[in-house]
Amino acid sequence: MKILLSGTASDSHTWNLVYLGLFLEERGHDVVALGPCVGPRLLTAACRRHAPDAVVLSSVNGHGYRDALAAVRALRAEPELAALPVAAGGKLGIAGRSGETEAARLRAAGCDAVLGDGAGDLEALGAFLAARAQVAA
Amino acid sequence: MTAAGAPRPFGAFVAASAAAGRLVVQPRMGFGDPGSMRTGLERTRAATATTVGTLTIDSYTRVGDLAGARAALAEGAGLNGYPIATHPLDVTRSLLDGLHDDHFPVQVRHGSARPQAIVRALLAAGLDATEGGPVSYCLPYGRTPLRESVAAWAEGCELLAAGARPGSVPHLESFGGCLLGQLCPPGLLVATSVLECLFFAQHGLRSVSLSYAQQTDPGQDEEAIRALRRLAGEFLPAGVDHHVVLYTYMGVYPRTERGAIRLLEASARLAVRAGVDRLLVKTTAESRRIPTVGENVRALETAAAAAALAGPPVPAAPDAGSAVYAEARALIEAVLGLHPDLARALPAAFERGLLDVPFCLHPDNAGRSRSVIGADGRLRWSDTGAMPIRPDAPADLAPLTANGLLAALNHMADRYDRPPADPVSAYRRPATARALPPTPHPRHEQEPAMDHAPQPAGPALPPPLGEHLRSPQLRAAMLVQQEALQAARDFLRGSGFTELLPPLVGPVTDPGGRGAKALDVDYYGRPYKLMTSAILYKQASLHGFPKLFYIAPNVRVEPEETATTGRHLVEFHQIDVEIAGASREDAQEVAAGLLTHVAEHVWTAVPDVLAELGRQESDFADVRSGKYDVCTHHEAVSRLLTAGHPQSPDSEIDWTGERLLSLESDRPFFINDYPKGSRGFYDREDPERPGVLRNFDLIAPHGYGELVSGSERESDYATIVTRMRESGENPAKYAWYLKEAHEGIPASAGFGMGLQRLVRFLTGLDSLWQVSAYPKLPGVMAP
Repeated sequence: MKILLSGTASDSHTWNLVYLGLFLEERGHDVVALGPCVGPRLLTAACRRHAPDAVVLSSVNGHGYRDALAAVRALRAEPELAALPVAAGGKLGIAGRSGETEAARLRAAGCDAVLGDGAGDLEALGAFLAARAQVAA
Repeated sequence: MTAAGAPRPFGAFVAASAAAGRLVVQPRMGFGDPGSMRTGLERTRAATATTVGTLTIDSYTRVGDLAGARAALAEGAGLNGYPIATHPLDVTRSLLDGLHDDHFPVQVRHGSARPQAIVRALLAAGLDATEGGPVSYCLPYGRTPLRESVAAWAEGCELLAAGARPGSVPHLESFGGCLLGQLCPPGLLVATSVLECLFFAQHGLRSVSLSYAQQTDPGQDEEAIRALRRLAGEFLPAGVDHHVVLYTYMGVYPRTERGAIRLLEASARLAVRAGVDRLLVKTTAESRRIPTVGENVRALETAAAAAALAGPPVPAAPDAGSAVYAEARALIEAVLGLHPDLARALPAAFERGLLDVPFCLHPDNAGRSRSVIGADGRLRWSDTGAMPIRPDAPADLAPLTANGLLAALNHMADRYDRPPADPVSAYRRPATARALPPTPHPRHEQEPAMDHAPQPAGPALPPPLGEHLRSPQLRAAMLVQQEALQAARDFLRGSGFTELLPPLVGPVTDPGGRGAKALDVDYYGRPYKLMTSAILYKQASLHGFPKLFYIAPNVRVEPEETATTGRHLVEFHQIDVEIAGASREDAQEVAAGLLTHVAEHVWTAVPDVLAELGRQESDFADVRSGKYDVCTHHEAVSRLLTAGHPQSPDSEIDWTGERLLSLESDRPFFINDYPKGSRGFYDREDPERPGVLRNFDLIAPHGYGELVSGSERESDYATIVTRMRESGENPAKYAWYLKEAHEGIPASAGFGMGLQRLVRFLTGLDSLWQVSAYPKLPGVMAP
């Protein structure tokens, strides 16, 4: 499965992306790593160029809910990207715990999975991608 | 003040502090709201330490998205820093007014590859110190092409050098000693710091600082800092003022408070040992969320205290054999060999891979280098790509996996979170000793061994009483306390409770637990006791007052070793509640409702006072929304054992264990079902599960620990007598109480909520003495 791995617009952290790149490759996925500070326009352009099977957005700077929301809305606004599976995860808010309201808003905008930053969330990411791989196969 | 109102230059302030033998400590602190930001600066300035203030900029402004910062402000979304280019100039000026002066320099910290807007905004606000660099704020921070960052930083340096007020000496710190924060061998960090400061000097700056971020091995770090100091002297032009600034570990930070404090203290000692003049600290909240003002101030004071206790710096020895020095020098010379103008040489060096930052995803980084943490704890190169240096890791290393990367990233956090394997006496480095020979991992030679006692980060003992009573902090705490008391009374009276005033002395009192004793008084020749708690009187009152409460003063002669837990006072008060016919769950509902109501009221009544103390609304989100967790004593013990804490399954959770559990939690939680023998005879044994008590504690989140202890009470006369005998009490002493029990005491449940512990939690202060007007600490003589 081809996965486009990306940071979010205001987030310059990269260790999360280095780790996720290795994590996804070890599970047999083909990873396109966009790196940090990817705004909605660059993200949609990259999705059109690389035609991935799924998008993984990772954010740890506390602006994740806001940035991922803009990213997902931009993807969903493009007809050919409207059905592209998208998962967003990491430390998405600044309060130290996930905000249920923000997560619900993110799902409502079309994000297929909203994840935290624990070991269980990685498993959930793996399961999410495995389920999409079956659908794709 | 110097000419035209420019405060003493940043570099001169640091130099004067160094000459006086004081390490300058500085937070990384930034809030979107000007009020919180000012509070942060005020409290940084007032900290018991030689401090420099910080305005950390939010990440929208950092990437040049000023519209994003404006929109986030407008919609009230929390920003992770101060949007200096978005708030109107007069807002920033009044933020600094009366704070930024000769005794308190303020530096702007950001992370921008295009710093011009930030430099213009800080100059306009009357500031002249900032940090960053063309490489260090480009490669690790986003996607700006390196050549653009170099051009932007050249312009930024020139703006800063030319734009400051007359009399000022603008200061620029290189972030080059950090790069990605971790897993970069020191040679490249040192080289980048020196090259960036040289770049600053080439673009007009006359005062710079060279950074180095603490890495995995104290010996290697000390060697790196000495190399940095030596190379700065060799390469920076004469007349450029410079000092070295150390960053407390910038990688994945310990999750436990104990681990976080130990690592911070280790960095402070490293700073002193290696001749560093300024230290950027980390807080105990670092691994979880944006730290509060209070947490920042505690980190500053902890670091300053550790530095003061570290003794005089170790005299510099010849660096002849320094591998870090040789490596850094080779890198610097290779870059300068490309072109003397670093604006041309730096991009060329990265293009050719002469500089290559390991794990850096930036498109302009070659990405061929790799590093590992060696078996000895030192950072080593496993691959140096095209850099003019050689790998120094074993050649037969297995390829890097995601788990391997994670283990390396968590190396320091795991090491510092781990409880010490065996008790060792505190290590003191002999003043004349040089670096110790290599020892096997794990090594602790530069860290004093920690005992299992909790470590309050603030001052351990109160000042003289008069000074304490005059302190603004006590005044703030008392304002919070009176609101908490009013809220508690409102809540309980509104729920149908009657307030009684408790007795002070009696023939017998609560036998208690955990080694606390009652104080004897001579009562007409009889040995009476001061109340350790009025539990027996609460039960006796139930016929007439089925729902009652006291605000009860209590005296417990606690063991002297509890003096520094921050959690014990000899004289204290409880909100003491009892409910006839109630179950444990009923009592828990009242306790939770009480805490929620008090937090809600206090946050509504005195939000300014709480904000000034560094509290944030988010600290109380779960308490105010009434979200409480529950676990059993058995589960709590299992969690502690899994975490490596030696908790006995048959007794109370010990202080450290309770603190660990509390630190792990973001919301308050109940611990149920303590084992019989850990509590008093009045806690009812579960008829279904002999040996298990129908009792509970309520633990506050974020390390504040136990707030409430409660239980269903034993009301059956014969059982009470048996339980007294089992716990070694002499029933004869309890004659009046047993007479009441014989005649029939209603079944009940109740609890005591420690008032000072409640106020400490609300205020976020370190120690109970800080929230008591007349504190008496165990074993400490006090008026």
